[in-house]
Amino acid sequence: MKNKLNHHFQAIKLVLLRMRNNPLPSIMISLVVGVAMCLPGLFYIGIDNLSKLTNHMQDETEISLFLKLDASATTITEIKALLAENAAIKQFHLVTKDEAWAKLKAASKTSNDNSNSIHQLDKNPLPDAFFIQAKSTDPIALESLKDELQNISGVEQALLNTEWAKRLATLLALGKKITLFISILLGIALLVIIGNTVRMQILTQKDEIEVSNLMGATSSFIRTPFLYAGMFYGLFGGLIAISMMAGVVQLFNYSVTQISNLYSSDFSLPLFNENLFLAIIGIAISIGWLGSYLAVNRSIASIKIN
Amino acid sequence: MIKFDQVTKRYPGGDEALKNVSLNIEAGEMVFITGNSGAGKSTLLKLIAAIERPTSGIVLVANQNISKLKPSAIPYMRRRFGLIFQDHKLLYDRNCFENVILPLHINGITGLEAAKRVRAALDKVGLLHKEKAMPITLSGGEQQRLAIARAVVSRPSILIADEPTGNLDASYAADIMAIFHAFHQVGVTVIMATHDALGMSATQNRVLHLHQGALTAEKITR
Repeated sequence: MKNKLNHHFQAIKLVLLRMRNNPLPSIMISLVVGVAMCLPGLFYIGIDNLSKLTNHMQDETEISLFLKLDASATTITEIKALLAENAAIKQFHLVTKDEAWAKLKAASKTSNDNSNSIHQLDKNPLPDAFFIQAKSTDPIALESLKDELQNISGVEQALLNTEWAKRLATLLALGKKITLFISILLGIALLVIIGNTVRMQILTQKDEIEVSNLMGATSSFIRTPFLYAGMFYGLFGGLIAISMMAGVVQLFNYSVTQISNLYSSDFSLPLFNENLFLAIIGIAISIGWLGSYLAVNRSIASIKIN
Repeated sequence: MIKFDQVTKRYPGGDEALKNVSLNIEAGEMVFITGNSGAGKSTLLKLIAAIERPTSGIVLVANQNISKLKPSAIPYMRRRFGLIFQDHKLLYDRNCFENVILPLHINGITGLEAAKRVRAALDKVGLLHKEKAMPITLSGGEQQRLAIARAVVSRPSILIADEPTGNLDASYAADIMAIFHAFHQVGVTVIMATHDALGMSATQNRVLHLHQGALTAEKITR
């Protein structure tokens, strides 16, 4: 056991020494891994945050039920009773046309641009309205509830405020698929690139491998340093990818904050997403290991003792 | 210790490098294998070290049949041998000390114990003062001595040398032969292929003569 640990320790030491003595190829390959991992990582961050935003909006789903302008007080009470009976509705509140009118007037006093147009109106153009929160956030259930409410007599229009969020969510699902596809393609490219780099390294260490073979080195003794080399390329590449992503997110956040301020929201992209970062490093190391494993097994078998 | 029973080795597309060779080498013997180039000396050594497998016949080393060894068992078999080649097969990207420590790392020996054994091996071949030197700066004779240090550092019971003095002038060659005799004195089995008889006369040794792959003469020198 101790011997095995020692063997791995020696292999790691050897690899790091080789990298220090000849740093340029290692830096290049790590950079390639970094860029290739950074790209899908950024896509993922973008899509993930957008879909969080839309989920947040869908949670606040409200159905607005506008009544006909001539709706009488009895119609309102009837509808109120109907809504109270409906099991799909969590809560609702009534905003009468007078309340809405007063609110609008109050709001128009603070904002300058449309104050004139509001005050030019001599009679209240607003209908009575119910604002309803459903129990379910499922888009299909909401849709059927909306249709049901639309058919109540005295209702002018039922509006679901999440139509666009739904469309966005569908687009984002498509974006996730594309990101996955790109990630897989880049992963395959990385496998080939790392495999090729390790193969070249094996060729430069041909003498050492041959001599080690003659002295009774097991194939694992010969293979291990190259596997670690692949894993280190993955690790360094992953770290580069993370720092690039953090940099890009930081840059984006300046603009995102400005936009958010316009919408009076404090939304910004989180700078550190530990799970994503750990996943990227983990995937990069695995790809490095697999790439060198494939290369090592083929190349070492081809080195014959002569 | 080492037994050949009607061993024939034919390389693909070539002639028979060894024809029907039978021999027996006891532990602690010093055996010379002579013959012209192409007589099959190197092939015979490669069969012992499990680098090649016989086409027919049986090669036994320490009662293990070399041709029946599993690939995973071959490295452990090779650790019984110290191999020395005419072209040294040194690694020129590291210094003398690091060249000699390689077999110990392969055997899982590291740290102070390894360093102690490396220095002992370098001392035996008279290169202790050159442990930091790069092999390329050594003379031909010193390089061969370094190769010997590397072969003996893991204390193998059998030394196999393929023309170790082939490229060296007479005085260097005599040095090398003296080192091999010293190892033989302490009980190591030494098997050496050579095309000249230099240095053989120091003690009583067995000489196996190969001619075109066949064992033609076996004699004891004095």
